[in-house]
Amino acid sequence: MEYGRPTELDEALALLAGGRRTILAGGTDLYPAIAAAALPGDILDIGAIAGLRGIVEGAEAWRIGAGTTWTDLARATLPAAFNALKQAALEIGSVQIQNTATIVGNLCNASPAADGVPALLILDAQLELQSAEKTRHLPLKDFILGVRKTARRSNELVTAIVLPKRAVSGRSDFQKLGARRYLVISIAMVAARIAVEDDRISEAALAIGSCSAVAQRLSSLESDLVGRRIGPALAEHICAAAVATHVAPIADIRGSAEYRTHAAAELLRRAVANAAGTA
Amino acid sequence: MPTVSMTVNGKSVSADVESRTLLVQFLREHLALTGTHVGCDTSQCGACVVHVNGVSAKSCTMLAIQADGADVATIEGLDDNGTLHPMQEAFRDNHGLQCGFCTPGMVMSALDLVKNNPSPSEQDVREWLEGNICRCTGYHNIVKAIQAGAAAMRG
Ligand SMILES: Cc1cc2nc3c(=O)[nH]c(=O)nc-3n(C[C@H](O)[C@H](O)[C@H](O)COP(=O)(O)OP(=O)(O)OC[C@H]3O[C@@H](n4cnc5c(N)ncnc54)[C@H](O)[C@@H]3O)c2cc1C
Ligand code: FES
Ligand code: FES
Repeated sequence: MEYGRPTELDEALALLAGGRRTILAGGTDLYPAIAAAALPGDILDIGAIAGLRGIVEGAEAWRIGAGTTWTDLARATLPAAFNALKQAALEIGSVQIQNTATIVGNLCNASPAADGVPALLILDAQLELQSAEKTRHLPLKDFILGVRKTARRSNELVTAIVLPKRAVSGRSDFQKLGARRYLVISIAMVAARIAVEDDRISEAALAIGSCSAVAQRLSSLESDLVGRRIGPALAEHICAAAVATHVAPIADIRGSAEYRTHAAAELLRRAVANAAGTA
Repeated sequence: MPTVSMTVNGKSVSADVESRTLLVQFLREHLALTGTHVGCDTSQCGACVVHVNGVSAKSCTMLAIQADGADVATIEGLDDNGTLHPMQEAFRDNHGLQCGFCTPGMVMSALDLVKNNPSPSEQDVREWLEGNICRCTGYHNIVKAIQAGAAAMRG
């Protein structure tokens, strides 16, 4: 077993080119998963690569580096379209977890309950994947393939989350339901981003997590909301039936399918009202 | 076995450890700094909180090698030649502990809070302590202690 902790991205990509390795960022998902057992084979620890950390606004897109922690995000000054992601940041474990855990690690872990996924789906997030040979981009929705399964190839490192500026508009909101307030795995969570023009919705982006293997955008409900006047009447259009056309919720120890559908619809009504500024 | 080097409470330390060694094991077993406790194996209780490069982290959820080169502070480093740190003193004055098992983690979390928010409200303290569990006190006196400690640190 070998433990690599390079300080430069090139060295990290060279290590990945040399054979399969488990990537370790903050380690907050990885470590509890292996508990006191031996580490799974060779490790690539990316925590010492300073260049991977930070949030940068470019001409076309925002970029969140793979070393960026949830605390970095929560403390950054960002447009209101990021509100949902910031709210999600404060839900990830506790302060000490937020200080070490990365946003990219949350996505790569591909848990159905990952709080970061819905908040990034509504920003049309893309992942930047680099190998020693090339760089490619994949939409987040095509990156997470199933429970703990992603489209990352074994020689690739996810180096950043890229958020196209056209999707960084309006205001967003995140709502999570758990069996208790703190340190809890979500029963359902939703993110909504709403842009308003002349009191009418000009753009809507909605996503639901923890209800299906992979979090989902709700495209037909989004189109249904566009053009509608903002106000309490919006709630009528966001019903359990509309949710059920997009996700067939799972049933498990944390809730039945029917409960989840109703809970998700209520969370969506609240998130849309907050994002539209009518709450 | 990789060599891990870091600064712990201002002193440079270095040791050969298995890669899987947790930071908390390194502190307790290699450095005999047993003030940092382990209360769970699910990263939830916060008895193990230390500071890594100035921010609070759960030392049970980090490998020692992840802290290679880092500046680590534990409860043992807080006193000034036997005089308790004002936050430790506040826990004593306010009866902020019973069995004391959670206390080192509580104090280290509290200091990270005060660094970010020198004058925390009761609500701020309660929210910040989300990752620190106490099975004895019911938290009331811990919250009081942290507010008193913060006030003492403001001077
Ligand atoms: C007590 C506790 C509470 C938690 N609460 C929550 C919660 O409320 N909500 C929630 O969503 N999560 C929660 N988590 C899970 C976890 O903290 C987050 O998912 C976190 O964002 C993971 O980041 P990390 O940097 O620690 O990832 P790591 O553990 O380092 O990595 C996670 C996975 O991603 C892979 N990976 C990491 N970075 C890369 C990369 N750059 N390229 C390719 N693969 C990569 C790793 O190989 C691993 O499979 C909690 C964890 C703990 C211990
Ligand atoms: S020992 Fe419980 S959180 Fe670290
Ligand atoms: S004082 Fe006993 S656990 Fe907190």
